[in-house]
Amino acid sequence: MGKSDRRRFLKGVAAVAGGATVAIPKGTSAQTFRPANGTTALPSAAMQSREREQPAEVERLTTEKTGSDFMVDVCKTLNLDYIAACPGSTFRGLQESFINYGANKHPEWLTCLHEEVSVGMAHGYAKVAGKPMAAIMHGTVGTQHAAMAIYNAYCDRVPIILFTGNAGPLNERRPGVEWFHSVQDGAATVRDFVKWDDYPKSLQHFAESTVRGYALACAEPSGPVFLVADSKLQEDPLAEREARKLRIPRLTMPSQAAGDPNALREAAKMMVAADHPVIIADRYARSQAAMDNLVELAELLHAPVIDNRSRMNMPNTHYLCQSERAGTLIGQADCILSLEPVDLFGQLNSMRDQIERTDMPRTKADAKVISISTHDLFVHSNYQDFQRYVGADLNIAADAQTTLPFLIEAVQREMSASGRNAGEMRGEKLRQAYHDAIDRARTEATFAWDARPISTARLYMELWGQLQKEDWALVSDGDFSSRWPHRLWPLDKHYRFIGGPGGYGVGYQPVAALGAALAHRDAGGRVVINVEGDGEFNMAPHTLWTAAHHRIPYLTIIQNNRAYHQEAMHIQRMANRHNRGVRSAALGTSIDNPNIDYAKIATGYGALGIGPIEDPSDLAEAFRKGIAAVKTGQPVLIDVITQPR
Amino acid sequence: MKHRSLLTAVLIAIVFPAIAPAGAQQASSPAGNVEHGKALYRETGCYECHGLAGQGAPMTGPRVSRTQLPLDAFLNQLRHPVNQMPPYEAAVLSDSDAADIYAYLEQIPAPPGPNSIPLLKLTR
Ligand code: HEC
Repeated sequence: MGKSDRRRFLKGVAAVAGGATVAIPKGTSAQTFRPANGTTALPSAAMQSREREQPAEVERLTTEKTGSDFMVDVCKTLNLDYIAACPGSTFRGLQESFINYGANKHPEWLTCLHEEVSVGMAHGYAKVAGKPMAAIMHGTVGTQHAAMAIYNAYCDRVPIILFTGNAGPLNERRPGVEWFHSVQDGAATVRDFVKWDDYPKSLQHFAESTVRGYALACAEPSGPVFLVADSKLQEDPLAEREARKLRIPRLTMPSQAAGDPNALREAAKMMVAADHPVIIADRYARSQAAMDNLVELAELLHAPVIDNRSRMNMPNTHYLCQSERAGTLIGQADCILSLEPVDLFGQLNSMRDQIERTDMPRTKADAKVISISTHDLFVHSNYQDFQRYVGADLNIAADAQTTLPFLIEAVQREMSASGRNAGEMRGEKLRQAYHDAIDRARTEATFAWDARPISTARLYMELWGQLQKEDWALVSDGDFSSRWPHRLWPLDKHYRFIGGPGGYGVGYQPVAALGAALAHRDAGGRVVINVEGDGEFNMAPHTLWTAAHHRIPYLTIIQNNRAYHQEAMHIQRMANRHNRGVRSAALGTSIDNPNIDYAKIATGYGALGIGPIEDPSDLAEAFRKGIAAVKTGQPVLIDVITQPR
Repeated sequence: MKHRSLLTAVLIAIVFPAIAPAGAQQASSPAGNVEHGKALYRETGCYECHGLAGQGAPMTGPRVSRTQLPLDAFLNQLRHPVNQMPPYEAAVLSDSDAADIYAYLEQIPAPPGPNSIPLLKLTR
């Protein structure tokens, strides 16, 4: 490809009619259209056609190598399996290069029906695959559509390689639409919530920035990076002579930051000396090995672990996983080790949502707090995702996952030096508390067992009845379903669960589930479960079309409480506070009258749709059918009419 | 959420020491109107946080089905919530309406034990 002797240049309409082709020397640019009369006015259609009939010069109309081909070459060095997009003309050159020149492999092009899907699926994908995929957005409007999904990924510290197109110099922009989709600074819309961005001015610049961007995205704390692929750079022919000068730098993946050994020694001392040490793990584990390390540390210290569920951190089948006792444990603790807290203040304090907002510590006054976190390594100013400041007793700025093996060593050393192992005494009590917590959850689950609308406990346990023999993965978080999966299901492996949305932008769930399901499909046939609210689903129902189109199987269950229920509770709170009627919270928050037929919507998008299920005794059969269909490669949606939570 | 109910009772006792502690003799008998209470439970939004069957949810509100609180303490929780619950003052929910809700919650039949539900034997 790209050899000059294979180049063919069309000469214009007359030449084509005559069947002749004329070779033009390499590097000659004859693309620019000039009005025949030399005026500066834009050419009319009539002038253009006259021009074509009488070509004043040989106009070059095709080329076999473009800048966008080189951009694809760059991307192919980056271990990117997928690039997702809703088409947009500002990246038409790149799209064509990916699918034809790049043979639509590594990355494979995925078709989405909204930019929020392209980016949100990349968010879910990265948390399962452990590496980023790419998403590309139309200039301006596409980026605007994608913004919330980018924000969620940023808040969740998840790597994504984002591209957008942008029209070139003004004299080459087509009048009208191309101007609306052009911008001086393509990243401005999202700069506050990406880790890094660049607008490369040359192909060499593109190569270096894209490789740099990939490495930066993956350096903890990871995050989305944003690159503008200028449309002129994409579409301009790439002469052989120029191509030979281009270099794609080698990608060097960064090793991650481990904690300062002195600080770790201090942390070990504090934890070993504690009578009631507690570990809180939040956005901690990116791998099974990280989970195993946490188990090792907890066993060593006989310390209960509170899994705050931003990732799959601690197997809840282990007796030291005591998340349900968080309030009690934090209240009793004399030393708390917090691993990658998303909100350290919130872990240690509560705040009353009454007219006067008062906060109260959840800890004892003299409790020591150690934080190991990448938080301080990456903070932006504008968006407030950094949460309230806490002066911990020991703040170790490092990647907790990378640090943990070193902390384990430090604890081992400290234990043998001090001869202290008070922890063993705690073991029996903690075992008992673990079993008591499960029993409490089982008892709580009975309370609306036969209720209609169906209780979320019943939903999850009927589902578990059908799922337990499969190799499964849950790609939604259970916080809006009374945390039943964490309370009742065995979450024993890292891939069982991926944490929550990051920025709580509604619409994360359907799209992140799609990307997570894709990664699970590639990892080998796990049955993927996505339980989401009706409000979430309605933000991106067409995600199911992408799933059907690309054969990405997973089971979506709509926990259909026919409301933006979180908001209903907020309105209730305001109504009560203002003392002027407490019966209107449904106005503006309910999603009924008419009720939405989600199964029909799913069918319309090419998925299998089941429901609405209103009788709890119909759940088992629906789930059995749904899981069977998922195992044949289909996306499935089951609509279940449920209790609010 | 046994510990939470306990905490509620304790906090009520601390914040409002004049009120009889949980378990003491109730001030009035809960002879409320169960059907009316059931309707109010839904209309005034209790169900939003406590579930339509009063089953509770960890992130929104504890179980109130078969409440063990005496009526006084129940009323006090509505008027002066111990923590996050929005207040229900008499202007929007009268004592007698509250008593009806109380009567409804109190009489909800006991659920089957977890060991009698086969699916609940499959938990972690
Ligand atoms: C917006 C959510 C919300 C609404 C609406 C709400 N509650 Fe509550 N309720 C709570 C929370 C949270 C608690 C836990 C204590 C606290 O934070 O004040 C609670 C506690 C209670 C308790 C004490 C339970 C125990 O055993 O400790 C009772 C009883 C109660 N609520 C009854 C009601 C009734 C009756 C209504 C309707 C008239 C109602 N609640 C409406 C959130 C709510």
